[in-house]
Amino acid sequence: MQTRRSFLKFGAGAAAVGALSPLAVSANSSDVEWDEKHEIVIVGSGFAGLAAAVEAGKLGAKDIVIFEKLGVYGGNSTLNAGQACFANTDLQKQLGIEDSAELMVQDQLKSGRGYASEELLRHSAELGPYIYQLTKDCGCIYRDHIINTGGTSATRSHQVVERSGAGFIRPMLKTARSYGVKTKIRHKFEHLITAKDGTVLGIQVRRGYHFGHENSGELINVKAEKGVLIATGGFGANVSFRQALDPNLGNEVGCTNARGATGDGLIAMLAEGAMPVHLSFIQSGPWASPDEGGFGYGAGFSLYNFPHSIAIDRNTGQRFMNETADRKTRADLEVQRRDKDGNPNPALLIAPKHEAMKDPSMANVLKYNVAWEFDSVDAIAKHFDLPKKALKKQIDDWNLYVKSGEDPQFGKRMNMSTGIYLTAPFIVQRLWPKVHYCQGGIQINAKAEVIAAKTGQSIPGLYAAGEVSGGVHGVSRLGGCSTPECMAFGVTAARSMMKA
Amino acid sequence: MKTVNTLLALILGGCIAVSAQARDQRDYHEMVYDSGCKTCHDQGMKAFPSDDSCLQCHDMSELAEQTKREGHEARQNPHDSMHYGQEAPCMECHGEHTPKQAICMDCHNFDFPKFKQ
Repeated sequence: MQTRRSFLKFGAGAAAVGALSPLAVSANSSDVEWDEKHEIVIVGSGFAGLAAAVEAGKLGAKDIVIFEKLGVYGGNSTLNAGQACFANTDLQKQLGIEDSAELMVQDQLKSGRGYASEELLRHSAELGPYIYQLTKDCGCIYRDHIINTGGTSATRSHQVVERSGAGFIRPMLKTARSYGVKTKIRHKFEHLITAKDGTVLGIQVRRGYHFGHENSGELINVKAEKGVLIATGGFGANVSFRQALDPNLGNEVGCTNARGATGDGLIAMLAEGAMPVHLSFIQSGPWASPDEGGFGYGAGFSLYNFPHSIAIDRNTGQRFMNETADRKTRADLEVQRRDKDGNPNPALLIAPKHEAMKDPSMANVLKYNVAWEFDSVDAIAKHFDLPKKALKKQIDDWNLYVKSGEDPQFGKRMNMSTGIYLTAPFIVQRLWPKVHYCQGGIQINAKAEVIAAKTGQSIPGLYAAGEVSGGVHGVSRLGGCSTPECMAFGVTAARSMMKA
Repeated sequence: MKTVNTLLALILGGCIAVSAQARDQRDYHEMVYDSGCKTCHDQGMKAFPSDDSCLQCHDMSELAEQTKREGHEARQNPHDSMHYGQEAPCMECHGEHTPKQAICMDCHNFDFPKFKQ
């Protein structure tokens, strides 16, 4: 935070050591030396930032800038399976899927375990069909097939053909630029610049920043005429920050996030007095593989295969969870798979090749040693040192559940795997959760305005959207539900700023 | 420690005069070293070179052509990837004085056999 008071302090301190740079801000916020001025200032080039830029462009904004800290665009939004849950789309109707915004909200409330914001979820779900169309207008191409994700009561996860967030990010970046949006890499947001009354006037940015070199580049002051949108994502890659909030999430647990997901935007808004919400609710992805870094290919493979596959504990040779339960349920159970010394002993996802081969993810995981093919149950048991008898019985039992359409063991929704028996050859991937998403963040309202902790009122000039905001999803976010929410609140922020 | 710093400052400051072998360097860039540090360090010796610096000699679309991949791997072209197109700056993956690895490797077990760490 840089209020007048801290300007004074900073100025005096820096002057005393003779290190006052020519760009340093002056003592009075009204005569801050602005290096740049823009109508709309967006920090972060992921789903939320790009959706805001596109919407603001559509609404006629003439001078929009996006600052990206890293050397590449898209942040964490380009590193995922490219899914977005929308309810009530043309594609769902074509495929005979009955769904509604209300049903989507109810599914999310359930996974939120009483902590989710019904108002914000509804706002986002109702904007779903608009966002779906906006992305198509940007040139995003969806598959004809909609996929199932954990914890949903209707099939609604629309996926771009790239099966990666890149399938959203690249076309949206292009579209934003077509509206004249200025996009800048290596520009790290340092802090907000505020007037005495707390109104956000602009931001300080480190231009020419190289990730990991905190003093690289130079500081500039950027004025925002209509508002500042913080769309900086989560803090999953900041191990000390996340471990302070959840002691279970140290280095032993990996992370799917882009390296830049260090929580800078969140921390700067906290310093400004924004209301923190649910910071300890940090979600790990139950589909991750310990045999590659980050999000990788394993996630795509397990996402496709969970409905008709089983996850096996290596000590018992048996299932230990509903493979399509919500993410928290699964990740919590997966991380409990340990050897007798308490060391991680990742579970095995066993998928039938005859079904797995229908998705291109199989070729990827086999090629890059993230999963392996086995001809028989014996071969799996031998390779991974599993109790063979127990595993055989488990597979036989599972196939009976497929036949009867009921899973008495864990209550899995079996209509996703009708007729898909688990037979050899098998494809096996190891499962170990990775920190994936921060449900917590700073509080926003349905106008994407940031709420001040002290007053419960919105902070003038300050907007937030996407993972940096908190309280939307509660305890656990459903798969494919961040992408549409990031974009919905990005769009909302743009609309609010254009009205401001 | 102080001595080391002073020494480093001397080397950095007098880079052109001092043999560049004092720093890690790429043999195939010998000609560039002969022309002096500022050939690449276009933003002063204390700053990283600009992202345009390497592009004085290298051309991104030519590089994309050189590292073109076929079929299944087509979008794994590090100079024209699915995630970043032709926009990933050189220094995201390549280091002149320090070993680096391709940014792709943060998440993928790709094989880039010609990549020089």
